[in-house]
Amino acid sequence: MSVLELHDVHKSFGDLKVLKGINFKVERGEIVVILGPSGAGKSTLLRIMNFLEHPDSGQVVFLGKKLNGNYKIIRWARSKMGFVFQHFNLFSHLKALDNVAIGLVKVKGKSWHEAREIAMKYLEKVGLSDKAQNYPSQLSGGQKQRVAIARALAMEPEMILFDEPTSALDPSLVGEVLEVMKSLAREGRTMIVVTHEMGFAKSVGTRIIYMEDGRILEESGPTEFFKNPRNERAKRFVDSILERVI
Amino acid sequence: MCRRSEGGMKGFRIARRLLTAAGIFALAAVGYVLIGKVYPFNWGLVLRYYRLFLMGLFVTMKISLISIVISFFLGLLFALMRKSKIEFFEDIGGLYVWFFRNTPLLVVILLTYYGVGTIVNLDRFWASVIALSLFEGAYITEIIRSGIEAVPKGEIEAAKSLGFTNFQVFASVVFPQSIRIALPPLIGQFVSLIKDSSLASIIALGELTMMARQVGTRTLASFESYLIVAFLYIAITTIISTLGRYLERRLAIP
Repeated sequence: MSVLELHDVHKSFGDLKVLKGINFKVERGEIVVILGPSGAGKSTLLRIMNFLEHPDSGQVVFLGKKLNGNYKIIRWARSKMGFVFQHFNLFSHLKALDNVAIGLVKVKGKSWHEAREIAMKYLEKVGLSDKAQNYPSQLSGGQKQRVAIARALAMEPEMILFDEPTSALDPSLVGEVLEVMKSLAREGRTMIVVTHEMGFAKSVGTRIIYMEDGRILEESGPTEFFKNPRNERAKRFVDSILERVI
Repeated sequence: MCRRSEGGMKGFRIARRLLTAAGIFALAAVGYVLIGKVYPFNWGLVLRYYRLFLMGLFVTMKISLISIVISFFLGLLFALMRKSKIEFFEDIGGLYVWFFRNTPLLVVILLTYYGVGTIVNLDRFWASVIALSLFEGAYITEIIRSGIEAVPKGEIEAAKSLGFTNFQVFASVVFPQSIRIALPPLIGQFVSLIKDSSLASIIALGELTMMARQVGTRTLASFESYLIVAFLYIAITTIISTLGRYLERRLAIP
């Protein structure tokens, strides 16, 4: 059984068609990297997987269950799907430790005491146990994003969605977040990553999806994609990125 | 070094405040003496009625405290309605705010006492509480609404993405943050409420202002009794503001 399946998903915002029939599947242990120019619909696609946006038509199936309007099933799916945002979205009134613990308390019904013990383990995992008592405003961007990853991990998700997790970071802080993401990849976690970090896509991704104008234009392994993209527009995208690097 | 200079600043600030207070006091004293030349103050006569002032103070505090609690919950309720996805609730919230922000409190009190009060038999006290709560609740609705709107959308999405119910999103993320944002204007509104309660004297509720008028008519020393009342209002509102500032500091997030 696939972890996630999307069947012919369409989405418009007013007159603007953002997604024009998206089909794809994610198997357990896959690390799918979604590439494409801004405005291609990558973020919307990710948000639809978590039902932060509702698709206009089409089907999202998570662990064999159809996500439709049913609020209970959506909440169940969200609790098993981690979501890491571009702008971290930590709860600014809670300390780092409680940011990680609160999901366990509210959704999994654990006591605060137990939840904090678990949260501490995940903060250790992302290398931030010494910042447990800090509020988000007292953390750097990279640290905030690592807390956000710990918050997602603590729920023991079946799959984690990353929406441009390093785009809002100072270049010098990108490395520490990518390092944590690589360690998750080594654990064999299922991940879907929207990013502009080509190095990460190439070395960590198991599959690349290239999107443009609301459609998936190419789907291939990372080596194949970067060496010899079949689609003309994907090729231009790769070239432009490589040019910028050189 | 840094600490010492900070301490110096604080000492300076206190000294400056004391100086200001002394200046104002001196001015007031001069004014008092000058006025005393044309208006013979008779404090002894007025203070003989100290019981009436205390009764009035008690009623003012009682009506204010009850109205503060009710208007806060009304404000919370209607703010939620205004933010509701259900259009009907949204409209009701809008209508409520529109009506009470565009009607003078004096008229609201008269309407409640002589209108609603004659139908369902309200006494002066509860008519005043209801009028004051409904009126101030409209302003509190807007204060809480803007507090809710100031909570970052991303944090709401983060809570949803963890699997929170809508109620949990509100109770754990939106409310604790919006109340911190809304606290300073909220305290200001409570201070207004206390002062506005003086308008209940129009329906002869025996609160502070009403009592001052009574003492004034009995003793013909209105100036003195209203001065006392002004001082008592300032005392209550200053206490509320100070409590508010303390609460603000306690709840502050770094």
